[in-house]
Amino acid sequence: MPPSPCAICKTNRALILRPKNHQKLCKPCFLSVFESEIHHTITTNNLFHRGERIAIGASGGKDSTVLASVLKTLNERYDYGVELILLSIDEGIKGYRDDSLETVKRNAQQYNMPLTILGYSELYGWTMDQVVEQVGKKGNCTYCGVFRRQALDRGAARLGVKHVVTGHNADDVAETVLMNLLRGDLPRLSRTTSIITSTPSAALANPSSSSPSSPPSHTNIKRSKPLKYAYEKEIVLYAHHKNLDYFSTECIYSPEAFRGSARALIKNLERVRPSAILDVVRSGEDMARLVPGSDEGCGGGCESQGGNGGQIPVAEEEDGGCGSSGGRTVGGDMAAVERQLALNENAQENGLEVEIRTVGVKSQGCERSDSLRSDVVSLVNGKSGQRVKGQAFTPRKTPQRQVMGQCKRCGYLSSQEICKACVLLEGLNKNRPKNQIEVDGHGQEEANEAVDAIEVGLQQVKIEGI
Amino acid sequence: MPGKSLEQQSVMVEQSCRRCRTNPAVLVVRTEPVCGECFSKYVHTKVIKRMESFRVRFTSPDQLRKILLPISFGISSVSLLHILDRQLQTQKSKTGRTGYSLHVIHVDTSSVEPSAPDAGLLSQLKDRYPHHIYASVPLHELFMSSADGSPSEAYKDLTEDSSLEDMPADQKLLFLIGSLPSATARADVISTLRTRLLVQCAKDLGCEGILWGDSTTRLAEKTLAETAKGRGFALPWQIGDGDSPFGLTFNYPVRDLLKKELTAYASITEPPLFPLIYEPPKTSQPAPSSKSTTIDDLMKQYFESVEENFPSIVSNVVRTTTKLEAPSTFLSEARCKLCNMPVADGRFGIHGWGGDQEDGLDISGKPSRELCYGCTRSVPPTVTLSQGVK
Repeated sequence: MPPSPCAICKTNRALILRPKNHQKLCKPCFLSVFESEIHHTITTNNLFHRGERIAIGASGGKDSTVLASVLKTLNERYDYGVELILLSIDEGIKGYRDDSLETVKRNAQQYNMPLTILGYSELYGWTMDQVVEQVGKKGNCTYCGVFRRQALDRGAARLGVKHVVTGHNADDVAETVLMNLLRGDLPRLSRTTSIITSTPSAALANPSSSSPSSPPSHTNIKRSKPLKYAYEKEIVLYAHHKNLDYFSTECIYSPEAFRGSARALIKNLERVRPSAILDVVRSGEDMARLVPGSDEGCGGGCESQGGNGGQIPVAEEEDGGCGSSGGRTVGGDMAAVERQLALNENAQENGLEVEIRTVGVKSQGCERSDSLRSDVVSLVNGKSGQRVKGQAFTPRKTPQRQVMGQCKRCGYLSSQEICKACVLLEGLNKNRPKNQIEVDGHGQEEANEAVDAIEVGLQQVKIEGI
Repeated sequence: MPGKSLEQQSVMVEQSCRRCRTNPAVLVVRTEPVCGECFSKYVHTKVIKRMESFRVRFTSPDQLRKILLPISFGISSVSLLHILDRQLQTQKSKTGRTGYSLHVIHVDTSSVEPSAPDAGLLSQLKDRYPHHIYASVPLHELFMSSADGSPSEAYKDLTEDSSLEDMPADQKLLFLIGSLPSATARADVISTLRTRLLVQCAKDLGCEGILWGDSTTRLAEKTLAETAKGRGFALPWQIGDGDSPFGLTFNYPVRDLLKKELTAYASITEPPLFPLIYEPPKTSQPAPSSKSTTIDDLMKQYFESVEENFPSIVSNVVRTTTKLEAPSTFLSEARCKLCNMPVADGRFGIHGWGGDQEDGLDISGKPSRELCYGCTRSVPPTVTLSQGVK
């Protein structure tokens, strides 16, 4: 068989089978088509504006490395006029982060971009290794994901940057769509596909009057995913053919079942029909519009209307964005959810469930009942008996629109009174030997305002401990 | 675990049924050991509860409510027929009449699906449940010209020129299916056409709605498969009970039962349902990469394994998807020419959205076909019914 020519330039020999559509391309054409697609994503969604400072959430993995490289190239080629900087979060996982942070440092030199590294220990007083030591390997992804989400925003605020771009790719988005279907999480389903998420200025304009002490907020940070439509395989190909310096190790702590399951499914789908990843993303965008009460859920479709109208508020624990592998999210493993669901089903069957919610939770409904947290207490009377019609509570309601406010402790955007990070920290700090807090407390003293709230939390613990 | 027999769980030997507390339990349903009788009752209740609106009291004596029941000879649809047959007999014996009558229709796809069931099974069904009206309809009937010789609606929808008009309907179908690019596309188009044909039959027969036999497991498969095929926009109409966009009601009475529960049920009925059920030949588990694997196959395999250990997650997928709301304006939206689903703002085809990077390319030259995103994936523009007859 004669060597086939490149489908685009028709002259060079095709060397690359494009994963997305199985087009046969030569190397230069592949690189240029990959870049121009991202340029297309950026321009049609008006992701950037001239003069903007943009922090690239850099992990040293392939996605963020390619993102940094492509954005630098495009910024020069098309004169976006944006200033790019690198922002890295050090979770404090020995053997995983140490090496990848070295990569980020090299990237900073290669791309001539300023780099800031912020540690979990600096931000929260806990490294992930310490968290794992305390909570064990199960569920540690929850901590990591929640902490990371805020860490980038806190870091951005510290740098005076209002826009953070992350390396989430099409596979990640598709995976999250399927995962949220499997978990039965409609509110999150309606958010995951949006290319821009931003903490609403509403949360700023309307500061909760009940908390005069709420610290200055770092909540008006815009997030976007320029690689949202880029296939993971193509990102790897691009990195390979551009000889990019990236670090490839999966997080040493294992992924949770839901995401692992969805990821395997996406890989199989891609094998059967290469367009399937993109098709799932498209379905996700369309379904976002069908989620009851979410006129916000316009997916990627309505940005063209311009302005901030199309921007979507994020929840504090959304897309965990776990380093190179795209995020482990909260939600517990499948077995735990299964048990909870089975309990609810049984209770409903017997018509005797009573649902008790924790008081003081402003926005009930969606997040809580759908993701089946344990604050919904089922009181099941073992014997099935007199079923009184209408008295039985139905545990799942139509998901309601989330009301976003600010965390009373740290001021971070939250649908709850206390944001997830602060709740998790409280749990961690409760069980921590006291002397250790002091050590970490010292390290924090120079932290800026953004961190103050957490620090106050820590000091309170210290005082209580004395 | 539902459907697991007790022998497999030796720990639980010689338990008595948790429900009646007299008979020995023969299987475990959602963590409860139950006897055969109570299990049957459980299955019936689940289905009959979904048939509320078809009770005798909602039908006036001079009214004849007709419903179409599609039969694929799979476990779910045969079980549904079995249960409804009993319901109708009970209604008759109690009140002297029934709330509705059934038209049982099998769509014969054997010309395009080698593993399609033998349509002869229909006469066996008829022998066992003689009180209903039965028919087998070949899939290509959708392309049959009407009595006055004009081409069928479905055919007109799918082709622009008339060069193939004289071709016999079965050839048109073979031609269309043969031109599709993948196993996934063929399976997708066949099932889309089947739905269209059933809707057409229901209308021709004067049925008010269709009772689909999809189990919880099947609906969960469908949810993820349609999502993967880019048809997420149409899920409310493919999973939910109630008004469909086709002027008929769709109902899924078996939606609260898992596939494995129905499998257990089919073996404890007297006599068992298995002789009436068609199991496609099990080719040794096809590798996911195999050319013949379809997206539907993948999802089927996936949920078979999820159902085993996480049955509640399967039902939760369905419950959640059912909450998606069809846009209120859907009746006025333009329809896809293949699946007939309303397409919001007429966004046909795979271009013109964020994930389409070829906006800049000139695609305006071709007449844009009015196919939805999902159907365009299965029937790419290179395929047209009127092309390349040699």
